[in-house]
Amino acid sequence: MFGIIVGLWPSVAISWRDLIEFFTYNGIATSVLSTLFVSLTAPLVALYISFMVYSQYRFNPRWQALEKRLAPLLSLPHLAVALGLVYLFSSGGLLWSSLWGIFGATAPQWLGLPHKSLVTLLLAMSIKEVPFFLLIFSALGRQLPIKSWLLQGRALGYREITSWWLLVFPVLLKHSRLALLAAMAYTLSVLDIALLVGPNIPELYAVVLYNWQTGFTVDEQALAFVGNLVLIVMLSILIAGIYTHEWWAVRNLRHHAIRRTSLKIIRVSRLFSHWLGLFSLLTLSILITFLIWSLGWNNQQNMLSTTPIDWSFGLWRDEWFFMRGPLLNSLYIALVSSIVGVLTTLLALELQRQAKRYLPDYIWLMAILLPQLSMVYGWQISHTALNGSYHTGWVVISHLPFTFAYSYLVLRGPFQSLDRHYELVAASFGCSYWQQFWKVRLMLLRPAMLSALAIAFSVSVAQYIPTLMIGAGRVSTITTEAVAIASGNEQSITAVYMLVQASLPFVAFFVASVVSQRLRGSFDVSHQ
Amino acid sequence: MFRINNCQISIENGCIELPDICLDSGELLVLTGPSGMGKSTFLHWLLGDSPKHAKVSGEITLNMKPLNSVKIEQRRIGLLMQDVHLFPHLTVLDNICFALPANLKNENGKKLSKNQRRDTALALLKEINLDYVAQHYVEQLSGGERSRVGLVRALANKPEALLMDEPFAALDPNTCMQVSLWAFSQLQSRGVPSIMVSHDINNIPPQAQHIDLADFYRSL
Repeated sequence: MFGIIVGLWPSVAISWRDLIEFFTYNGIATSVLSTLFVSLTAPLVALYISFMVYSQYRFNPRWQALEKRLAPLLSLPHLAVALGLVYLFSSGGLLWSSLWGIFGATAPQWLGLPHKSLVTLLLAMSIKEVPFFLLIFSALGRQLPIKSWLLQGRALGYREITSWWLLVFPVLLKHSRLALLAAMAYTLSVLDIALLVGPNIPELYAVVLYNWQTGFTVDEQALAFVGNLVLIVMLSILIAGIYTHEWWAVRNLRHHAIRRTSLKIIRVSRLFSHWLGLFSLLTLSILITFLIWSLGWNNQQNMLSTTPIDWSFGLWRDEWFFMRGPLLNSLYIALVSSIVGVLTTLLALELQRQAKRYLPDYIWLMAILLPQLSMVYGWQISHTALNGSYHTGWVVISHLPFTFAYSYLVLRGPFQSLDRHYELVAASFGCSYWQQFWKVRLMLLRPAMLSALAIAFSVSVAQYIPTLMIGAGRVSTITTEAVAIASGNEQSITAVYMLVQASLPFVAFFVASVVSQRLRGSFDVSHQ
Repeated sequence: MFRINNCQISIENGCIELPDICLDSGELLVLTGPSGMGKSTFLHWLLGDSPKHAKVSGEITLNMKPLNSVKIEQRRIGLLMQDVHLFPHLTVLDNICFALPANLKNENGKKLSKNQRRDTALALLKEINLDYVAQHYVEQLSGGERSRVGLVRALANKPEALLMDEPFAALDPNTCMQVSLWAFSQLQSRGVPSIMVSHDINNIPPQAQHIDLADFYRSL
């Protein structure tokens, strides 16, 4: 919030001329409208897909497998998904050029996913947000008596899938407002993906605004301030969109419930009964595609062509020299900001528990509910005003609000729903308040804490705007390097960086899962 | 000796004035009454937890020591509930170790080592032929095993009194009979005065005192 206020405080005088210049800027209307369209549509499409997946998996033996794989799937960076889709499905991508290559032909342009377009962005964001909504539904599902609602629905003669839509969806929709807003705010001001796979003429609003924000002239600074204000107006429109959609959806479902007419969407639901397998396959394909590109394949060749592909680790060897620094920076920043993020979350939750008063979630999740671009712009102004130097410490601080928000999202449920009788039993054995906290509460929360740590780590690894704006380009990470390289034409080198960026969260989840398994039962029994 | 005097439970639209309760070592009091009358609330108040849905007042003394202003962790009163709440992150053995008093000493007067504490816990399990579950986690135990391990854990803490909130209600009738008989004999032989809340008025042990809260209810 502080960032937004500073970002909206004009450092140069704003005149009518600036306003007119803003509204007559070439292509601004298309930029704003297409940004609003993609920010509203992608999260809603993801929400609907997530609900259909959730309804297909929740009371099914496969649910446990889905819950287990959800966090690692969630951690795949947005950028990796977006570029992965392009590397796989564009006309020069691995899939089509290999298929057409069998016949010695080149895949037609119209068939493939455009490299830079609104459709590509929409597709990438819709696919990527599904695990996020599933995580939210999974947490909500533990608090709501969904099974009883479905049972009642069936007892009244409705099919289970109909009951899901008529009885469960309206409630989940209402409880998902904040999650929807988080996804919309992210899409609204996402810069790296908009730069790399978003449309070019005109660019998406985030790109236009970022160019003004980093402009030198007084005119550009004035446009940036008006632009920040417009970004907040766009966020307000999205909030209105969330409520309007909710009103429309609930009204429609109520209409079906009263008239007992059949729901067409039910037919689509069944398509998502194999989502976990398909999404895992897509994730794996993306990683393999990056690997293949980084080992020497390019879109001029194909697997079955007569010209042999010169597979080699040469690119990795060459790039290692340049990559070491950014990689170490990424690891250091992500490790520190995720650990501090989780610790601050625990502190915030514990203080609220002691005060017996929980503040509304939107206060804690502010960092992911507000547009990042305006917020970080405000931080950058404050950072400059404080004469802050450009080192990793400041970048860690700029990542903290995000690692905190995601840790809070993951830990809040387990922390609040922990059965207090465990602590009561421990108290009856003579444990003091803090002994109960350390020996029981924290021990029971360890799996959730490790999950939060891995998610916060992934969130930090994928941060682009704060790293770029607060680090001023002097603190480079794998993500900033990946975006810089991907802006050029070296697709093989981009693949190397994308693979490293996408692998870091997987490594974090792998370590978290191994540690989690080893920790169980190793409690110090000696009361020391 | 466990004494509760001048106890009054205020619930919605009424109050219950309990007769003075006095339990000698090994004695058992069974509390029955309709739902919502404050049975569990009364137990939580005795334990030192602040009840949410009712107001309870009275004087509690345990072995001549007044307990009203003593914290839960210093009261030395054990608690056994229907869900015994074995800590899921610990094995059965470590659950019992957790409950063993911190100052347990060996024959040389030295504080027990980690291994000695584990041996002590294992000995407690062996006494009731449950040593085979020592390395099991809670989800690997049957209902009867959970109840018995729960009682062993509660007793391992050497409480001066024990409170039981329908501890065997989740068991099938046969297992319930076996486990409850075993539990009462354990409590009697160790001399622990106990109060048990129950819904089952047909299975009150003959030696137990019995209070039906409904008999003392007064509407306001």
